[in-house]
Amino acid sequence: MNALSTTVGPPAMSRRGPVSTGPNIPSLVGSEPQQRGMGIARSRLVFVVILFCAAFFVMAARTVELSLKKAEPMQVTKQHVTVPPVQFTRADILDRNGEVLATNLGTSSLYAYPARIRDPEEAARKLVSVLPNLSEGHLIQKLSASKGYIRLQQRLSPRQKWAVNALGIPAFEFAPDEERIYPHGRLAVHALGAVNYKNEGISGAERYFERRLSDAASTNQALRLSIDSRVQYALADELESAMRVFQAIGAAGVVMDVNTGEVIAMVSLPDFDPNTTRGVSGNQRFNRVTQGVYELGSVFKTFTLAAALDDGVVDFSDGYDASLPMKVGGYTIRDDHPKGRYLTVPEIYAYSSNIGTARMALDLGTEQQQRYLSDFGLLRAPDIELVEVGAPLFPARWRKTSTVTISYGHGISVSPLALVTGIASMVNGGRLLPATLIRNSEGWRQGKRVIAPDTSRKIRQLMRMVVTKGTGGRADAVGYRVGGKTGTAEKASNGGYDRKALISSFVGVYPMDDPQYVVFALLDEPKGTKATYGFSSGGWVAAPVVKNVILRTAPLLGVAPKTEDEGLYKNVALRIEE
Amino acid sequence: MRKIVTISAAIAAIMSGVMVLLLNIAVQEQASLNRTLAKQIHDDREAIRILSAEWNYLTTPRTLEDRSGQFLALMPLRAKQIVNTPATIPLRPRGQDVDTKGASSVVLSSADKPRKVKKNQRKGTAL
Repeated sequence: MNALSTTVGPPAMSRRGPVSTGPNIPSLVGSEPQQRGMGIARSRLVFVVILFCAAFFVMAARTVELSLKKAEPMQVTKQHVTVPPVQFTRADILDRNGEVLATNLGTSSLYAYPARIRDPEEAARKLVSVLPNLSEGHLIQKLSASKGYIRLQQRLSPRQKWAVNALGIPAFEFAPDEERIYPHGRLAVHALGAVNYKNEGISGAERYFERRLSDAASTNQALRLSIDSRVQYALADELESAMRVFQAIGAAGVVMDVNTGEVIAMVSLPDFDPNTTRGVSGNQRFNRVTQGVYELGSVFKTFTLAAALDDGVVDFSDGYDASLPMKVGGYTIRDDHPKGRYLTVPEIYAYSSNIGTARMALDLGTEQQQRYLSDFGLLRAPDIELVEVGAPLFPARWRKTSTVTISYGHGISVSPLALVTGIASMVNGGRLLPATLIRNSEGWRQGKRVIAPDTSRKIRQLMRMVVTKGTGGRADAVGYRVGGKTGTAEKASNGGYDRKALISSFVGVYPMDDPQYVVFALLDEPKGTKATYGFSSGGWVAAPVVKNVILRTAPLLGVAPKTEDEGLYKNVALRIEE
Repeated sequence: MRKIVTISAAIAAIMSGVMVLLLNIAVQEQASLNRTLAKQIHDDREAIRILSAEWNYLTTPRTLEDRSGQFLALMPLRAKQIVNTPATIPLRPRGQDVDTKGASSVVLSSADKPRKVKKNQRKGTAL
């Protein structure tokens, strides 16, 4: 504006020389075209001034408005900084209490640019000094290549990475990698499974839930299994020591919640550490609980009795003559604990009489036996979230001999899991619940009814009698009202049975007045010891395992010890003569 | 007058400019702090993941059993040691010389004789 005003001011004040050529001032100001020009300039100037004034007015008005108005809350949502999520390619697996059973952790892989290495031999020598598992010869060969980008080793620990960095060789580079870690090691390996070097599930739940675990959308949501790591450990520990004491070649054990079908613990021995799967034998990988099928022996009598009682063929007041061995189809059936007399139904179960059970099965009939066993889920592979599931073995043509032998658990091979699932349905009021490895937060499931609640009550009484008066006395964990059934079967070999190779098992249920858990223990080819007087049957070797497991885990599972109500078993106890 | 207006306007303009600049710098600082915090949270979460795995490794039932056997005089729990109902808890002995001098115990010291107990205070309350 100053510059403009100087042009309209007197020429004497003008700093622009060329305009003031002479003293003729009026001619300079007064000439008509000049005046017109001045007018236009002034009107333009006024226009600009008005414009500026209007703009200042708007700004002033806005300032007043802002100062009068209440301060609005700042919109921070748009500036929200998102924390980058911790992303891994595979979801964690937790146990039922949230203990981490499997997790992915970041590691590094070592790569090299051979073209940048001047002295491959020295580089190889240095590298082997910090990573001794690498072969120097191989390394020299790899590092001598003229080009490329080669991987030297996967899964370096932070310490190893630091050591390689400290070598100061610029040709070595690291790439982020992931490693599947199982903090509990061998614990629950058969339920959990393992992964291969590409972090893909190759067994157990890792394989069954492969899609769910590796789905990018759900890697932040851990998979929660029904396994309880504390119970799992107690079962594994007891089975391991029993296996050692009795020099068994293998062992299996299950703890199942009878009201939900959840598998609380599942042990198969020998096992392996999923963190290092190299050199693991097939025997170690074999899941004896779900894959292995065994003739389980007398444990099966539970199903025969349940079928006979449910069908109304027998009642507690009935009985069978077991004084003499029985002949069926060329076979002679004897009792392992012969009483040589007439036995009542509770006695047949408590003393595990093969003859009595066989006669009962004949009264029941082949068709009914098949129907019941099929209802109990014993004639098909058990349901569980694992790939390693073994189908049962039973005769294609079910003859009279089969009816007889199957009634006491010979001539039919089922997996321990199928047996435990069946036993759970016997004691929980007659509901068959498929076994599951996934935690059920509701604590109750409605299953298919397979026997009447009243039959289930009778089976509970019978199972308790086996422990208080019969063959399962060594499973009596004082205070926890354990019931159960022993099972001893000879292993089949060369078309016959090997009398020395036994499968000894015990299935226990507790507390018998309100069944909560089934505990099953099996030992493969146990040898008797001095303490067992050379016996290696289920009642001697497997029942103590069940007892110890119950003593160790019942407090953890919230089952309180209690003085028993003898009245519950009075009716059955009276029918058992010692 | 004009000059004053001009100069003050210029000063106001420069001052507001400086203030805006300072504000800008402050906002940038805060934003960078924000990003740093976000990264730190991310790193911490990652560390928590590793630590929880390590914690699980160090507290496996087997390790705990070994450690308790090594350092604690604790034995496995027995069924008869578990108290079901509060009624089975024994009453606290009072007024007897049940406690040795100097030993620390939950039982009241023998100095606390019944005669010292106030009348309205119940004797032998359960723990």
